[in-house]
Amino acid sequence: MVSGASGSERSRTSASQVPPASGRLDAGALVFVAALAALAVMVLLPLAWLFFTSLQAPESGRLGFGNYATAFTQWIYLSPIVNSLVLATSVATVAVLLGTPLAWLVSRTNLPGRGLLRVAIIAAFVTPPFLGAQAWMLLAAPHSGWLNRAFVALTHAPEGPFNIYSLAGAIFVMASYNIPYTFTFVAGALALMPSEMEDAAAILGSSALRRTLTIVLPLALPAIIAGFIMSFLEAISEFGAPAFILIPARTQVITTQLYLFFQYPPRVEVAAAYAMPLLFVTAALLYVQRRLIGRRRYTMIGTKGARRNLIGLGAWRWPLACAAFGVPFVTVALPYAALLATSLSRAWGRGPVPGNLTLYWYHWAIIDNPETKAAIFHSLTYAFAAATIAVLIAIVIGFAVQRGLVAGGQILSFICMAPYVVPGIILAIGFYAAFSRKPLLLYGTAWMLIVAFATRFLPIAYSSFTAAMQTLSADLEFAARTLGAGRLRSIRTITLPLLRSGILSAWLLVFIPALRELSCAIFLFTPGTAVMSTVIFDFSDAGNFEALSTMGILILAITFAIVFLMYRFLGRSLIEAEAQPA
Amino acid sequence: MTRPSRTAFLALAGGAAAGLALPSVADARKGLTDADVSKLYEAAKKEGTVTWWTAHYAQSAADKVRDAFKAKYPGIEVQFIRQTAQVIFQRLNQDLKSGVHECDVFASTDESHYTTLKKQNVFAEFVPADIDKVPASLRHLDPDETYQIGALGFVLINYSTKVKPARDWQGLLDPKWKDQVTLGHPAFSGYVGNWVVAMNDKYGWDYFKKLAANNPKIGRSINDTVTDIVGGERQIGAGPDNYSLEKKAAGNPIDVAYPSDGSILITSPVAVLKAAPHPNAARLFMNFYYSKEYSQALLKVYNYPLRTDIAPANGIKLDKIKWYRNKVDRLATGIPEVVAKWRELFNV
Repeated sequence: MVSGASGSERSRTSASQVPPASGRLDAGALVFVAALAALAVMVLLPLAWLFFTSLQAPESGRLGFGNYATAFTQWIYLSPIVNSLVLATSVATVAVLLGTPLAWLVSRTNLPGRGLLRVAIIAAFVTPPFLGAQAWMLLAAPHSGWLNRAFVALTHAPEGPFNIYSLAGAIFVMASYNIPYTFTFVAGALALMPSEMEDAAAILGSSALRRTLTIVLPLALPAIIAGFIMSFLEAISEFGAPAFILIPARTQVITTQLYLFFQYPPRVEVAAAYAMPLLFVTAALLYVQRRLIGRRRYTMIGTKGARRNLIGLGAWRWPLACAAFGVPFVTVALPYAALLATSLSRAWGRGPVPGNLTLYWYHWAIIDNPETKAAIFHSLTYAFAAATIAVLIAIVIGFAVQRGLVAGGQILSFICMAPYVVPGIILAIGFYAAFSRKPLLLYGTAWMLIVAFATRFLPIAYSSFTAAMQTLSADLEFAARTLGAGRLRSIRTITLPLLRSGILSAWLLVFIPALRELSCAIFLFTPGTAVMSTVIFDFSDAGNFEALSTMGILILAITFAIVFLMYRFLGRSLIEAEAQPA
Repeated sequence: MTRPSRTAFLALAGGAAAGLALPSVADARKGLTDADVSKLYEAAKKEGTVTWWTAHYAQSAADKVRDAFKAKYPGIEVQFIRQTAQVIFQRLNQDLKSGVHECDVFASTDESHYTTLKKQNVFAEFVPADIDKVPASLRHLDPDETYQIGALGFVLINYSTKVKPARDWQGLLDPKWKDQVTLGHPAFSGYVGNWVVAMNDKYGWDYFKKLAANNPKIGRSINDTVTDIVGGERQIGAGPDNYSLEKKAAGNPIDVAYPSDGSILITSPVAVLKAAPHPNAARLFMNFYYSKEYSQALLKVYNYPLRTDIAPANGIKLDKIKWYRNKVDRLATGIPEVVAKWRELFNV
């Protein structure tokens, strides 16, 4: 498979003069085969189990389509699907409508404070949606929400305007935390986009607005669509935020319905069947994305760097800045303030009265309570391991596919992206089925969660890495190969250093969600492997909002500290490299 | 009382119970002696940990029980998860199905879980030393001694101190509580499941159809009721006694009322698993349930003491309360039945 691939590469490029360097290629092949094996165990095996389970009759174990009939013939199970589609489409639409202009403002204009704005928007990505949901329950519950209370106090109206316990509430909260996807993708595309075409249009008299709409926007379209699809899939597979908001709203979505299937009497087989259409929806979406991007594939970085031309906003500078900063204010500052205030309360129901201010819960979480202490440690180590595994696989498979080194690249891409379509809960069923028995008995060990996290977020690592790779032409590698360097050496000394920032961001993009992953963890953790998110979920149904908020603030603080350190150590060179003129 | 020696016991039990520092069941039925408990402790120390899955009470109460256990038996770590009854039950089923053995002590609030699991032969017979200190009617819940009473609590009316509460369960149907009622979910919480079965059997499903008109807020745990009232989101609901009283003591605007048509008594069993990974620590921990320390720890968080020689936190003894208790057989059929009806009615 690997050796035959160099032929296809040769036919696709003019680099037929590249020396074979066969020994090096074998080392590369070995790495590739190892990645393939990992991929098979992490993605194919659980999915195969999932599929098999969906066909198994609950009692007899006989194969058939009975579970599908149960899952898709009753309105009580069909309405959650409709709700999920409405939810995911709305979330993705809102996220794209907000994320795209924000990305443009930050990367293409002279908006005041755009550096800070970028950080503030990315902060939303760091926020686990279930934590945001919790914060908004404090802020916008119909009677007790602080915003509603403030509104009633100010206007003397009988009740406040907000009701977080509604589909609209869930859309709002989930969109808040999806803006960063579109934002990052589009900002990334804009940052890499050379300005020659815009310059040419400008010389020909085109206005800034027109240039933006006719050149920048179309060039950024793949990133926008990628953002939409990412948010759609994220929203349709999200469990935590709907569990917090929509269960009280009595609106079931697919994930909460799946959770209900797990309740006694458990109907795991029906749950597996119920999840299947999601696979096909996502496969279809990825196909659409591929077609769209395929039609508009631009290698935007040659061996030349990009140059920035910032658009002057003129009189609109400050109004736009206010509007732009309004987004992180609502999605980040308000909910963080709510969580922080609660975490510092002895009893949050008493409100900000004297004697209610305390650091008790922090002392409790970090020092007194062995469970929370262990959970913090587990979250950090598991997320670190998972991010590393996912990125390594993404690099190996991504490189092989992107450079056309192997046959069946599309299939490999699909396998890498497949976990994205599987809601965490469903992946958890597959994982549970695959890894709770010999010879691969991972259940009850840290590896259960690590591998689950790595698998769940492999698509992020993969798409993030390949997106970075797509901007890099193979010219430099070919030059190195022509000069006698082997494949691995050319990758090591040229491709990877050039992609350093892409790899780092891929790693962070896995680490951060892995640190707060809930929907897989809630079914795969054991008391010995509990992580922060599962501890938070436990607190939520007991109404321990103070403890919950404290753990939430700790997750956020740890994440920010790590992101800060990473940029401190690696960021300087990144920033310099990006800032350097061609 | 004569006991076979450890060696003799091991010989009796064969390899199956290897490493278990306990007398035979026939003798144990008479209750463990202090010497048995010391032996158990020594063996438990070697195991180092006990894994406890509990739905009995809130996190804060479980914290207190763990602390009390560790104070009495230093050297043994208590790992616990606190989740709603149906969640831990499901987790245990999942483990059993795949032959993973993690849980030592299983503490649900749905009594029918125990009859179901007993049929699968997963519990170890165990008679704790001081089981006779619990109320007479609750001793030896299971004639075969595979589970015992582990915690007591009530579902009763919880209300915000800003309002005058309903006097009975029918009172929750009053239209004045429109948008002010809060409930847990019978598919999650054993307490709520118990309450829904009791109301259904007492007043018929019509009760819930009428209650639906008041647009109740539905959470998961019985404790969600407390949270809603403490936070001012809702004013009244079917809640627990323990967690509400704990929140009340912390200064929150919540109180409980014993409904005149009967509080629902929740008798939550506890059991040691046959395949417990820490068999001695498991038994030592379950044995601890009937100690003074356990009841006293629970008192601190306003849970009902198990022992009759320790007075309840609010001074109201069990026999002074008008209560109703579901029969375990009724729970077994009733909970799945009401969960299905509930989903249909409330779409959740």
